[in-house]
Amino acid sequence: MNRAKPEGITFTKEPYIEDSGPRRIESMKFSTLSESEIGKMAEVQVWKGQYYDQFKKPIPSGLLDPRMGPANKNVTCTTCHAQFKDCPGHYGYVKLSLPVFNVGYLAAIVEILKCICKRCGRILLNEDTHKERLKKMRSPRIDADMKIALAKKVIEKCNKTTKCLRCGYINGTVKKAVSAIRIVHDRSKCNDSSVEEYRSALSHTREPKATINSDTQILDPFQVLSLLKRMHEEDCELIYLAERPEKLIITNIAVPPIAIRPSVIMDGSQSNENDITERLKLIIQANAVLRQELDESSGSFKSLDGWEMLQAEVARFINSDVRGVPFNMQMQKSNTLAGLMQRLKGKQGRFRGNLSGKRVEFTGRTVISPDPNLRITEVAIPIHMATILSYPERVSRHNIEKLRQCVRNGPDKYPGARMLRHADGSSWSLHHSARRKRFADELRYGDIVDRHLEDGDIVLFNRQPSLHRMSIMCHRARIMPWRTLRFNESVCNPYNADFDGDEMNLHVPQTEEARTEAILLMGVQNNLCTPKNGEILVASTQDFLTSSFLITRKDNFYDRSTFSLICSYMGDGMDVVDLPTPAIIKPVELWSGKQLFSILLRPHANVRVYVNLTVKEKIYNTKRDDRKREWKTMCPNDGFVYFRNSELISGQLGKVTLGNGNKDGLFSVLLRDYKAHAAASCMNRLAKFSARWIGNHGFSIGIDDVQPKVELVNKKDKTISDGYGKCYGFIEAFNKGKLSLKPGCDAAQTLEHEVTGVLNGLRDEAGKICMQTLHWRNSPLIMSQCGSKGSPINISQMVACVGQQSVGGQRAPNGFMDRSLPHFPRNTKTPGAKGFVANSFYTGLSATEFFFHTMGGREGLVDTAVKTADTGYMSRRLMKSLEDLFLHYDCTVRSASNSIVQFCYGDDGMDPAGMEGKDGKPLNFERLFLKSKAICPSDGDDGILSSSDVYKVVQEKLSEVGMSKLLGNGVSEDDEMSEVASSAGFINSLQSFIKDKTEFTKDTSTKDTSVDLRKFIKRISGITRRQLEVFLDVCLSRYSSKKVESGTPIGAIGAHSIGEPGTQMTLKTFHFAGVASMNVTLGVPRIKEIINAAKNISTPIITAILDKDDNAHTARIVKGRIEKTNLGQVAKSIKVVMTSRSASVVITLDMERIQDAHLNIDANIVKESILQTKKIKLKQEHIKVLDIKKLEVVPQDADRSKIHFQLNYLKNLLPSVVVKGIKTAERVVISKEVDEETKADKFSLLVEGTGLRDVMGIEGVDGRRTVSNHIDEVEKGKVLGITRFGIQQMGKSVLMLASFERTSDHLFNASLHGRDDMVEGVSECIIMGIPIRIGTGIIKIKQRTECIKCYEQVEKFNHGWLCVPLLIFPEICRPLPDSTSPQMHASDSLDV
Amino acid sequence: MSEVVFDDIFKVRDINPDGQKYDKVSRIVARSEKCDMYMVLDVNTEIYPISKDDTLFMLLSPSLVLSTKDGPVSIQDKFEYIMHGRLYNIVNDNGSKTELEVEAYASFGGLQLMLRGHASHCLKFAVDQKLFLLIRKVET
Repeated sequence: MNRAKPEGITFTKEPYIEDSGPRRIESMKFSTLSESEIGKMAEVQVWKGQYYDQFKKPIPSGLLDPRMGPANKNVTCTTCHAQFKDCPGHYGYVKLSLPVFNVGYLAAIVEILKCICKRCGRILLNEDTHKERLKKMRSPRIDADMKIALAKKVIEKCNKTTKCLRCGYINGTVKKAVSAIRIVHDRSKCNDSSVEEYRSALSHTREPKATINSDTQILDPFQVLSLLKRMHEEDCELIYLAERPEKLIITNIAVPPIAIRPSVIMDGSQSNENDITERLKLIIQANAVLRQELDESSGSFKSLDGWEMLQAEVARFINSDVRGVPFNMQMQKSNTLAGLMQRLKGKQGRFRGNLSGKRVEFTGRTVISPDPNLRITEVAIPIHMATILSYPERVSRHNIEKLRQCVRNGPDKYPGARMLRHADGSSWSLHHSARRKRFADELRYGDIVDRHLEDGDIVLFNRQPSLHRMSIMCHRARIMPWRTLRFNESVCNPYNADFDGDEMNLHVPQTEEARTEAILLMGVQNNLCTPKNGEILVASTQDFLTSSFLITRKDNFYDRSTFSLICSYMGDGMDVVDLPTPAIIKPVELWSGKQLFSILLRPHANVRVYVNLTVKEKIYNTKRDDRKREWKTMCPNDGFVYFRNSELISGQLGKVTLGNGNKDGLFSVLLRDYKAHAAASCMNRLAKFSARWIGNHGFSIGIDDVQPKVELVNKKDKTISDGYGKCYGFIEAFNKGKLSLKPGCDAAQTLEHEVTGVLNGLRDEAGKICMQTLHWRNSPLIMSQCGSKGSPINISQMVACVGQQSVGGQRAPNGFMDRSLPHFPRNTKTPGAKGFVANSFYTGLSATEFFFHTMGGREGLVDTAVKTADTGYMSRRLMKSLEDLFLHYDCTVRSASNSIVQFCYGDDGMDPAGMEGKDGKPLNFERLFLKSKAICPSDGDDGILSSSDVYKVVQEKLSEVGMSKLLGNGVSEDDEMSEVASSAGFINSLQSFIKDKTEFTKDTSTKDTSVDLRKFIKRISGITRRQLEVFLDVCLSRYSSKKVESGTPIGAIGAHSIGEPGTQMTLKTFHFAGVASMNVTLGVPRIKEIINAAKNISTPIITAILDKDDNAHTARIVKGRIEKTNLGQVAKSIKVVMTSRSASVVITLDMERIQDAHLNIDANIVKESILQTKKIKLKQEHIKVLDIKKLEVVPQDADRSKIHFQLNYLKNLLPSVVVKGIKTAERVVISKEVDEETKADKFSLLVEGTGLRDVMGIEGVDGRRTVSNHIDEVEKGKVLGITRFGIQQMGKSVLMLASFERTSDHLFNASLHGRDDMVEGVSECIIMGIPIRIGTGIIKIKQRTECIKCYEQVEKFNHGWLCVPLLIFPEICRPLPDSTSPQMHASDSLDV
Repeated sequence: MSEVVFDDIFKVRDINPDGQKYDKVSRIVARSEKCDMYMVLDVNTEIYPISKDDTLFMLLSPSLVLSTKDGPVSIQDKFEYIMHGRLYNIVNDNGSKTELEVEAYASFGGLQLMLRGHASHCLKFAVDQKLFLLIRKVET
């Protein structure tokens, strides 16, 4: 880039500028500036506290001195004589009368002072440790984080030393003063003769002693400066100071150029100065005051006042929120002026607001609305917007006529153009109509026209919050009238958009490269499914589902004309449709609605789309048929969807088939088998067709939809009164104390549990009855059945019963004395008094019910409000910590600095976006098998394979792809080569699947039957060679195409995949995990615990697997061994016994109870455990075992006067002695599970509490299979939480850390340590404006120089508009040291 | 022009055994007299009402024109109710007592047919066969 030549100066000779091609900023070094450096850097010394003179001109040597750069367009810089837009500005400086601390470094200065002798300035270490530490510090293998840790240790060590080894000075402790910007040296605890001397001297003075604190001494900046100047270089190195420590004290202040603190001129005369300028002015004023004080006074005491003021002003210049500013200054209005730190900090600060995220042009934003007639890849852009947004199109012979017309139309008439740029670099606005015609006529190839957006242009479309990558996708523009942005409803899901007033943003990429990359990587079509787990995200919603559901109803028939009409809905009436044979031919020709879907998938014979899938819809009847088998296609509710070769055989379509969040749905299958285009065009057709159909059919909701029938009312009343009866029973039992307790609960908890159970059952029951009685035409019912909106609970709340209202997972709490509301008697636990709403929304709620309902409602609102902030911050942290992880060419997961994080991504190297099977399996064999059987019909009976043939075919196919060696000899999954091992798992599962599927062919031909019959049987259940081959081909080829691509930003995808679902979770989700009363924290709080790597989690649970897990008795015994048992729990009595001769505490054990609980406790064991309890300081001789269940404790100190207290103390303490079990195991619950295969009970133990290792060591527990949910217990080593502290230790660069949190701290530390960071991570690249080397940026392009010649030749013919052949060198990266420094050889001619 | 795949006389045993789910369509359960086949069939009873204990003659054929001795004969006029659909599955249910019991499933634009009986009656069935289902009532 050549800087524009400043006018006025003419060089006799062009100054030589070396042109070495495009350069890249490789690293960034932070440092501190010394006094002289600032002086040299500056152009002007600023010392005047005014801005302007009486002629409104900036005063020389003032803060707006024109030597520091031009203030506006009208003036030139007096230093470099450049124009406003060319001059970057120049520094000035203010010379301070006395040095002051830099507040940013204050903590660092204190640390340094702790290390050095306050008299001679040497470090407080002896020679040997000094050398040893220095050697460690200088080790080349050490990185910045380790250096910080080392320095910390040195500081700690020095802090303990008081006496200087070199000068013998006794050092006190150095602290920062609490209320002022001041460092205090406290020597009060030192035993030094000099202090004594000083004290004795003080005692002779006449002044009152209180005023002078003899021991603490204030270290003023001047003293500190001289101390720091005396420091040795080596000492600095030891405490990781990169540069001279005296630079940490300010003597000169650099005045930033005017360009970064512009003044705002308000209506001509008034000017408004920048906060920084104002701050500097205050400094200059304070400096002048101090100077005056210094000049006037001779004694040193007087100037302290002004000095303090100056210190405070300088501190507030750096950080306006600094603490310790003198009280009289805190009240000034200058408090609101931002300091330098405030400019950088926070969301709106320089780092997050301007460097990490920049404002862009070519964008638009308005309200969105739906349009099912648009394709899913399109977005309708209002003409108003399209005339403002533009795209620079280069004129070629293909578009010259179009662009001529655009130029002629100008900026206001669509389709027009806003600007014209000639090939010679001149650009012309097209606002003047006079010029336009001429420009249009003179348009030449190679000119660039900034034309309005037109149909088919590539735009990016986005909705906040952008939680995952599908929140910004690439659409094709469609210019339409009216004022809203419109898109197909199918794309609502990825954006999480609705049309209740949402607004969305639009961006127009401005280069061909950007467009290509956008449409290929971010195109809607290429993002149909989420990279989280491969579920489809862009799919039909709401009305599309409803209408599909209604159309495919079994009794929905059309005659010829209607059927043809509906067929035409699918397209725009111009498409070819093969009308099928009607389903019913006689007595009248009728087509069924299901046939419409066959047409939708395959309109005519030339469309080669054969969809095969089976799906169980919501309405599927899970009961068995007369033979105790699944209903499948014969389901009486028609809930089993079966597509066979694109023909809808059975099933009423709903959300499971057509909606999102499913892997076996119609669109998923289309996407996997026939690629994105087929899926997208099918969605387009479905959208048009269903929207138009439902427009004619009509679908609305009315009061009659929520009116319960008489039958329902009666049934509901009965269930509710039954339920109430049960509840009253429990309450009565509770009041009488006869309630049988649940394990681990007290009476009140049990009652609560039972009643809640009954009441929750009530609503479900009412809901069930409600759903049965509703007519099939009931709109809410239809919507809930097909899954478009609403659930059975919603319907039953409207029609039957609202149900129990809960706050915090409990029934309504008592807001008044012993009752929830004053309407009820005290201590009532009845359903109605605790928030059960028996009415429906239709019948209306009573006053108390209404109030309970609002309580529940408010909790929901508060929850959502809290949750959004919480999860948003969580997402941000996740993203920042993982942003630079990507997959390298050698299939390892690496960070930006090329360090390996994982050797094989996810241990299998598969792309989660492509996984078709459940639980992350790559393929759904069942479906593919069905498909290959359906698309290759068996012709004749000969092709059927026997089991041995099947094995042969499998072998052949596998050897073709070179995977046969994995067979038989069984490659274990932990094989060295991860790729082979992961494939082995796949091949094994494939083989076992084929084995299962072909097994029955063996036993059919056993019976004595006719040949025909045998053949028939074989035909219907066997598999042909072709079918098997097709199946294997599909499986193998598809498997290999599902590996992750190199360059994938795996970290970001991972962060999105955790962060985005987090926002959809309700905050306080508590859930029962198997056993009653054993709650496990789930949902957002649990994720937070995991991500923060919390040391104390709210519900630590150890699942102990037993050696013998089939026996309840052993389980109980082991439980007794683990569970913490207090003496109080097993003692019958703990009594104080006082006789005339002795006084003691006698403990009697409850042997019955001990036996019951299978505990092995007797008096001796109790004695041992009492002795082991540290709190009770008893010795062997104090405890006497009387018999097996009795023991006597005599207090140790037999002082008669205190014995009563002693005894009582013991009596209170003894019950809490742990006699058995693990102290940290609060509670143990036996969990009973039924084994799926053997139907036998299996027992395991759930231990509430920590102490995994102790539990593993217990006899009877299988330690190898015992698990804990507490990460801290399982992981041995360092677990870094994804918090500001964890991320700091992950070896990230300063810029990344600064853009995350605590911006200024990181920056100050970086310059203190002289950090030199590579610009390679994502954050740094964004801040520096450099392409990120992840994703498409991983490829480095090098150009062969011969090509340039041919380029130049061709240019003459073609006006230079063609692609240069480029050679791509995918750099295979081994962990090479030099792989971090790329070599760009892009030629200069590319920049022409 | 082809031959009949299956024909028999059925007696309707039950209508809508799982309750009436649809206004226009009923599921009839019937048993045949000749081959003792069990049949479940969805019929559009709005245009062709069927009641319990009706006797039906049912015929499955790949074409409405049969080739007979006298040349091609259209059978369309001889039946009252004709549907067209596809046979999509034949299952040999190993779990049942007689091993050669076979179930054939067909769908007529969503209206299901299930025929269950001895395999020997179903030899002409083939998966993916397109079939016409023709019914007429028989007076008893």
